[in-house]
Amino acid sequence: MSAVMSPARAPRVTPTGHASLGRITLPQLAFILVELALLALVIRQFTIESAAFVRLTVLAFAGFAVHALLPLRWRLGAFVLLSLGGIVLVLGLREGAWLMGLGALLIAICHLPIPFWWRVAVLVVVGAGLATMRTAPTAAPWSAAIWPILGSLFMFRLIVYLYDLKHDKESFSLTRVLAYFFLLPNVCFPLFPVVDYRTFRRTYFDLDAAQIYQTGVDWMARGVVHLIAYRFVYYYLTLSPSEVRGPGSFGQFVLANFLLYLRVSGQFHLIVGMLYLFGFRLPETHHRYYLASSFTDFWRRINIYWKDFMLKLFFNPLYFKLRTLGPGRALVIATLVVFAATWALHAYQWFWLRGAVLLAWTDVAFWSILAALVVWNALHETRHGRARRLPGREVPPRERAMTAFKVAATFATICLLWSLWTSDSFGAWFALWGALISSPWSSLRASLPALTVAAMVMAVVGASGLPVNGRVSATRRGAKLPWRTLATVATLAILFLGGIQSVYVKLGPAAATVINSLRSGQLGRTDMALLERGYYEDLVRVDRFNSQLWEVYMNKPANWLDVQGLGLERFTGDFRQKELVPSMGVQTRFGPIHTNRWGMRDREYDRVPAPGTYRVALLGASTVMGWGVADSEVFEAVVEKRLNETRPAAGIARYEILNFAVSGYEPLQQLAVLDKVWDFHPSAMIHVAAGRELLGIAQNLETSLRRGVPIPYPYLQEVARRAGIGTSTDETTALRKLQPLRGEITTWLYGEMVKACRERGVVPILVFLPHIYPGIWEQEATEVMDRARDAGFVVLDLKHVYGKMDGVALRLAEWDAHPNVKGHQMIANGLYDAIVRHAGEILATRETRR
Amino acid sequence: MNHIVDAVRTFILDEFLPGEDPSQLTETTPLITGGILDSLATIKLVTFLEERFKISVQAHEADADHMDTLADIAKLVVSKQ
Repeated sequence: MSAVMSPARAPRVTPTGHASLGRITLPQLAFILVELALLALVIRQFTIESAAFVRLTVLAFAGFAVHALLPLRWRLGAFVLLSLGGIVLVLGLREGAWLMGLGALLIAICHLPIPFWWRVAVLVVVGAGLATMRTAPTAAPWSAAIWPILGSLFMFRLIVYLYDLKHDKESFSLTRVLAYFFLLPNVCFPLFPVVDYRTFRRTYFDLDAAQIYQTGVDWMARGVVHLIAYRFVYYYLTLSPSEVRGPGSFGQFVLANFLLYLRVSGQFHLIVGMLYLFGFRLPETHHRYYLASSFTDFWRRINIYWKDFMLKLFFNPLYFKLRTLGPGRALVIATLVVFAATWALHAYQWFWLRGAVLLAWTDVAFWSILAALVVWNALHETRHGRARRLPGREVPPRERAMTAFKVAATFATICLLWSLWTSDSFGAWFALWGALISSPWSSLRASLPALTVAAMVMAVVGASGLPVNGRVSATRRGAKLPWRTLATVATLAILFLGGIQSVYVKLGPAAATVINSLRSGQLGRTDMALLERGYYEDLVRVDRFNSQLWEVYMNKPANWLDVQGLGLERFTGDFRQKELVPSMGVQTRFGPIHTNRWGMRDREYDRVPAPGTYRVALLGASTVMGWGVADSEVFEAVVEKRLNETRPAAGIARYEILNFAVSGYEPLQQLAVLDKVWDFHPSAMIHVAAGRELLGIAQNLETSLRRGVPIPYPYLQEVARRAGIGTSTDETTALRKLQPLRGEITTWLYGEMVKACRERGVVPILVFLPHIYPGIWEQEATEVMDRARDAGFVVLDLKHVYGKMDGVALRLAEWDAHPNVKGHQMIANGLYDAIVRHAGEILATRETRR
Repeated sequence: MNHIVDAVRTFILDEFLPGEDPSQLTETTPLITGGILDSLATIKLVTFLEERFKISVQAHEADADHMDTLADIAKLVVSKQ
């Protein structure tokens, strides 16, 4: 890959040597402010990243308007004040003060009047103390939300700062140091580029201010484009491993996985672009990394700040020390150490951000293979050189073709390598290949549209700002300023207009749905499924590779509704696996949870209902059990109370709804619950299908097989045999093999439930209850209800129970999409109305206890 | 200073930019931040400087602060002679 040689760099301006340093004319400032206003509107319209970032953007842009007019000597101080104000804005005064206090302590240690290595030792001791507290967040007097930001501010920048402190003779400036550590956008972005202190210092207002500001706006606009492209990939192209069933979906899976990195490049563009508004003319953080033509080229283009950090801290010091061994050996050893350090520092970074050490063999394999490829490439470049070319010079067609081939080969290899990195285990990764090999290539056709769109996203994002070759410095880009400015304004205008609801609804339902989803910052389909599983399982997949889900988890309090921890559940040893402990009472942040003597989250009932009673057995999982609401607020209790108040059917003196639901129960387990239900002589049985019914059936069977849980149903054992899955089958393969059988199993399950009810004169009812957000349940709804009707259930469709209410208003919390009190009220209203509407089928054919 | 600039310019043109127009490589052309000198090229240039001018360059000096332009490089060499 060649590098572009610029004709001449725009002259640098030194703080002492240029009278116009940092100056901007009023028309120029007005134009930048108009662009920023447009950018702010787009960021707000598309809820870019978070509500906190939207607020911070307003603060930053308003601050910029004042900052740009201040005398230069005041501007660094003003930036510090603005950054500290941003911390208070996002974290609040108390937590913000903790963060600033801890930061001040760490900075002060760097300047203790003791020898350098003693200062390092003190920092290590303090760091170890903080690390100990990080593992037990409740031990700290500050909120858990502080940790990721504190880690992000100091975990790498302290290392860089100490290194420069050791080698530089620059005089100390408290304002500059505070500006460096408390960088304004950092409070909203725990994943932050490793800004180099020396570069930070060197590039401060070293060019014409208007040019620096415009570049900042350009980069922020580019970041927004990356983030919107990321959302498209995230919502429409990502697949779960079990959905990979052939070459097409395999290609889509690996491609979408790699394209998800757009989020990091988008965030980094936003971050550095915002810093430009305050005069910090930092280098690019990423440079068309999808178009790398070799592995060394890829390493140089993706996360450039990290590469520079590694070069400064590891590669150069080691190479210079080892030169006596010969350049080849020194190069190999230094490069290998860089990759080992990269792996270790990623684990270190993950510890500070998440509070747990990241140790995965796929991680080790990824960095080892990439290291080997980069070493091989570097040695090749050392021996054969690397072509560099001036812009404008004609490139022969043969060379163009060769470059295109190299780009394609590098991209394909990195895609595969990335899929290994993001896999849960080697087994899961090999299972993907199993799907590729065992399926016909004709299935490729099904994924062609998705692959084409993915390729277009990649081409648009990757190829923006040609030429392809080499890194282009911000300085040189200044030569094309009018065109870039025009492109930025046009992009922002299109995004703004396209994001107005009254405009995009005119584009047709399909386009409007897509744009509407791009405007939301909700979790995608696969992450939402993981979030739901995470209520009951310790998720291993919530990590940097599903960054949105990880951010949601990062905000989750450590003692969030923990049913196991409260001692509410116990193991049963049978197919149900667990049940509620009888006669328990605990207090949660949402109110009391009580279980009756039968182990139901409900009030006390006699085993046999009183005469004239219409008793309903209610089966379900966490929502039905009332996860996150108080006893009296569970929709079951509300409906029961209302039925008894209104008595909608003649001849029924009393209604009882017995809540058999337990959080985490899947549909197949309800069959085992029925054995307990019959002891209570119900008139009707309601099975609540609360979304992901088909998926839950497959996952439950797979988990039971893998964990060796006894399966008491010969049919399910036979299905497992037919699918060819057993205890040693990995999850991805098992789910893929069960996928075509899910409908059949559902029909069997519903048939068994209805049969058992009819044998006892019990009315079988299936309630379809949606999630508060769109998701997998939408795809399953029709099939589930059709199969239920065919089996003989009375189906109560509550698909529209939440009306047009925004899920945000109905959820318990950002990290918990169970319905809150309002949600339970709406479910109760919907269920009551449906019961009354179907009274002829349900209440009239009842068998009340006499 | 000029002889240092000339020697370094010739080295860079020969090693990393063969066939390019020498007049395009000025004293202020960004070498590291402009992508002409990557890490491998920088250490190759350091080896050249050390051998040619009998100086010793430190690891922390092989960066954009000290070697981003021909003028920066010449200044570094002079400071060590």
